[in-house]
Amino acid sequence: MSTIAETAPRGKARRRMRIDGWRWGGRIFLVFMMLYTALPMIWMLITSIKSGFAAMQFPPQWWPDQPTLASYQKLLDPQNSVGQDFLRFFWNSLFVSTATTILSVIVAVPAAYAFSRFTFPGRNFLFFAVLLRNMFPAVIFLVPLFILMRAIGLVNTHASLVLTYLTFGLPLAIWLLKGFYDNIPVQLEQAARIDGATRFQAFVLIVMPLSTPGIIATAIYSFIGAWNEYIYAYTFLSKNEQLTLPVGIQRFFSENTTDFPGLMAASFMMSVPVVVLFLVLQRYFVRALTEGAVKH
Amino acid sequence: MTILTGKAEARRRLQPDGHGVLRKIWEHRADYAYVLPAIAVMLIVIAYPIYYTIELSFFNTPPGLQLRDKIFIGFDNYTAILTSPVFWTVTSNTLIWTLGSTLISFVLGFACALALHRDFVGRGLLRAILIIPWVISAVAASYIWKWIYHSDFGIIGAVLVGLGLADRPPNFIDSVSTVLPSLIVVNIWREFPFAMIMMMAGLQTVPDQLLRAAKVDGANAWQRFWHVTFPHLRNVSTVTILLLAVANFNSFIIPWIMTGGGPSNASHIWITHIYELAFGRQRWGVASAYSVLLFLILMSFGYFYVRALSGNERKDGSA
Repeated sequence: MSTIAETAPRGKARRRMRIDGWRWGGRIFLVFMMLYTALPMIWMLITSIKSGFAAMQFPPQWWPDQPTLASYQKLLDPQNSVGQDFLRFFWNSLFVSTATTILSVIVAVPAAYAFSRFTFPGRNFLFFAVLLRNMFPAVIFLVPLFILMRAIGLVNTHASLVLTYLTFGLPLAIWLLKGFYDNIPVQLEQAARIDGATRFQAFVLIVMPLSTPGIIATAIYSFIGAWNEYIYAYTFLSKNEQLTLPVGIQRFFSENTTDFPGLMAASFMMSVPVVVLFLVLQRYFVRALTEGAVKH
Repeated sequence: MTILTGKAEARRRLQPDGHGVLRKIWEHRADYAYVLPAIAVMLIVIAYPIYYTIELSFFNTPPGLQLRDKIFIGFDNYTAILTSPVFWTVTSNTLIWTLGSTLISFVLGFACALALHRDFVGRGLLRAILIIPWVISAVAASYIWKWIYHSDFGIIGAVLVGLGLADRPPNFIDSVSTVLPSLIVVNIWREFPFAMIMMMAGLQTVPDQLLRAAKVDGANAWQRFWHVTFPHLRNVSTVTILLLAVANFNSFIIPWIMTGGGPSNASHIWITHIYELAFGRQRWGVASAYSVLLFLILMSFGYFYVRALSGNERKDGSA
């Protein structure tokens, strides 16, 4: 399907007809998928600029009579309690996600490099053990980790989240980065070694700069994962001032079940940072995600 | 100290030779410095919990967290699970959820990848838009769709009523018969982009010469896809389907936020059920036994996953 009609030879009309059938079929399908993807998000935005009263109409107004940004103003206003909470959740999420990202990269970079380049006993076993971590759901670790965190006094701290998120982030980070290192020609390091660099110097001075796109992609992935994580934040944190956005929003709206514009505005605000981050850096990101699964 | 070995060397499986493993480990001691931090973190936060979960699954545990007072009961937790009717409801829900979400996401994602494989105006923008649902938080997605399905003010119900297809808005997520399909639609919305990204990357590895040669030999579009493109994507497809299946098997947020497993367990899947048992009813022992069963199932998934990845490691790319 991919190469159809790139340069359709000007020959049989019937053949061109079929080619057009494929092409139009693909287009119609894409339009359908586009609607499926975009309509829920558009509806979220439209709802978020309605008044609470306008949202509770049946049949719904396709476009509000009086669009209002009141829901957004409320969320971003440090003067009222809603805004205070929302901004605090936002900073908490930002702090936890950033800390997780930095630590993930620091720990994953050398490990991925070692898995890519060295042959030490147990290498394959360790690498697959790392990969297998991806197989297990958060819930399996929840009870024992909760007990562990309580024992070392980390329940109700952001540190407990960072430490936990690190374990989700690491396997994937190592896998992504290894894909990048595998694609960096080993001759570069060998040349550096011949010029008298130690192995560690060759790694830091030659390989690290070359793998910057991979590191960026890995960082984005860790950040998005930590930003969106819910179940541990929901279990480990109980104090209102420590909640991260997903849990905070859930707490908040389980009390105000009918403020749909507010809920949609909050969902939108929660999605903005990660979507922007992703769109700006998507090229790195898409490439990195597939390096590991697809060998070029 | 070793000097750097090439990729091919690095890929070779280690075979302990006559020198003894310990000596080899000693020779490579510098290598371990690189992986030690990662392994240490994972040991503390992964190995210990796994051990502890297995231990707890053989005990009758008191509510609260005074777990010193636990009583050893052997396999009783396991027999209790397997004889409970809820177990079979939850298991069939999990199967429907996992298979339905995985297959439909994969097919839609693959079709999108194929349709986007050709250059046209606005392709990059379209691709970016299609990926957004995968990036936003599952909690936000759950609330958006909960609002869309709302039985009084939901937009889908309103459209159906407006078109005369329904007298009143249906209860998508409040009725036993429709709740699971409704949640699967949300789940597919969130994860078909992942399949799309993976398959797009896979498509880039299909050699153009082969496709051109097939064209010269008179293969039509369908034959080219089926005999040239698809065999090249077998490995990527396997990995993608496995990753999707595992992610779906392990989902929690969508059913938890949208329905909490209800109505009457119709949307409880394994993970939400385990969470409910542990943190809702504080039955740590039973929840742990469930986790161990889950663990065994995932290990078999993991076996295939590792095999598929090892297939990728080989040069020829055929699993």
